[in-house]
Amino acid sequence: MAGFNRSTPSWLNERWRIGWGTGVVLVTYAGLIAVRPTSEHGVGGPIALLALVGYTLGALLIVSGAVARLPPTTVALLPVAITVNIVMGKIVYFSGLPLQLDSIGTVLVGVVAGPAAGAATGALASVIVGMTITPGALPYAVTAAMIGFTAGMLARAGFFRRLSTAVLAGGLIGAVAGVVSAPITAFVFGNASGSVGQSALIATFQAFGNGMLKAATLQGLVADPLDKALTVVLAMAILKGLPPGFLHRFPFVRDRHILAPRADLVRVG
Amino acid sequence: MNAVRDTAHATGASGIHRLNPLTKLAFAVTVTVCAFAVVDYRWPLLLFGILLLPAAIGAGVLRRFLLMLTTFWVPVAVVLFVVQGFFLPGAHDVIAQLGPLKLKSEGVSFALLTALHILVLMSGFFLLLLTTHAGAFMSALSERKVSPSLIYIVSAALQIVPALSRRATRILHAQQARGQVIHGLRGRARALVPLMGPLILGAFTDVGERAAAMETRGFGATRHPTSLTAVPDSGVQRCLRAAMMLCAVAAVTVNVWGVVR
Repeated sequence: MAGFNRSTPSWLNERWRIGWGTGVVLVTYAGLIAVRPTSEHGVGGPIALLALVGYTLGALLIVSGAVARLPPTTVALLPVAITVNIVMGKIVYFSGLPLQLDSIGTVLVGVVAGPAAGAATGALASVIVGMTITPGALPYAVTAAMIGFTAGMLARAGFFRRLSTAVLAGGLIGAVAGVVSAPITAFVFGNASGSVGQSALIATFQAFGNGMLKAATLQGLVADPLDKALTVVLAMAILKGLPPGFLHRFPFVRDRHILAPRADLVRVG
Repeated sequence: MNAVRDTAHATGASGIHRLNPLTKLAFAVTVTVCAFAVVDYRWPLLLFGILLLPAAIGAGVLRRFLLMLTTFWVPVAVVLFVVQGFFLPGAHDVIAQLGPLKLKSEGVSFALLTALHILVLMSGFFLLLLTTHAGAFMSALSERKVSPSLIYIVSAALQIVPALSRRATRILHAQQARGQVIHGLRGRARALVPLMGPLILGAFTDVGERAAAMETRGFGATRHPTSLTAVPDSGVQRCLRAAMMLCAVAAVTVNVWGVVR
């Protein structure tokens, strides 16, 4: 991971690093879209390498920028959220349901502590899964970071005050996740997705004459919004269950009125 | 969660175990980049055969290495062959017919190439994970002045996963002692709710205490702390890392050049 010390120039400070990282990811994505039609034979090799390198570089920049800005309470929250991601992801994986639900903690941190913290949670969760369970999760670090970042931005825009808009936010998060992860699924993994259900969906889209990237994107746009809407509902359920004092430790959720005031705690009269 | 617990015991006496974790990380990255850089299925096979497999044998972790590959790589490879063998867009050279499905040679060769790329990617990182203690890895990063928050987050998450699974067992036992019957698939699904509630909420309520403990121990200090355990490193390894990184950067540059042109 990038080792920046304190005497970094201003164009490399924390905020800029998040910006640079996002920029690298966007340029990579645009580049992949732009060169795709001309590559007849090289789909598996150079394009995959481009996707891997661009996304990894972007994820490293985003993480190094995001982590440097976190207060200690948020730093203590992140490992727990990552663990929730891993545990829920494993339970759902072994249950055989056609869902992922591996970003409940990421969404929760995005809502409670803001976009930067959410992005760091997602990316680091992928790194930890990649280091301990399967390296197949490593290339998807950017997707996970984007999930946390989008959740934080939508929370800032007030989407999480009501359940209906929160579900809508889940759909939007899912759309972002589906689009961002498509190049990795298509180029690095040759559209062999993690679960059998997803792969069957991709195969169906390919059988109808779509290209590889298009098939992966369509699959993401069908499956991810549903998955992330459910993720958001579960994250909201956890937030409802937490003691009220817990949320007061986080300035993001406290000062910006991210969540609706709880009925049982509103002072009457 | 077994895999997570296993990494805590990734200790061994072989030379590969004793290498600096960063050297092994650089090796995993370089070998992955090199595998993807060349469009020929023999090349990743060669990398696997002459570098990764002997390294796994040399480190004495061959059995678990192969076990992890069968668990994680084989399913991906099988799906890959089915999806791309039959449905690769633009393929037309039919080599076999299975009812309405046509197996095409372009699809099979694409699947072979991609599966071998993924094989090298996974093997490189499995090797790192099987021969490296997570704590040593974090210490090595900390010596490189990586942000202490980041190191704390990763190490704490690695420790919380086994602790949480212990707590899950305890909650399950407590509920069974109160007469909860877990029978069949529906029963198991229904048992999940009273398990996940206390488990997850309990984990989050610990956060406050942990944050207070961290602050009292000077976590927010701006000076860079010194480390208790020094991670062994040598000049040879430093040169090796530089060479590998140079190799990876060169492979990426050549490829980007090829794609752009």
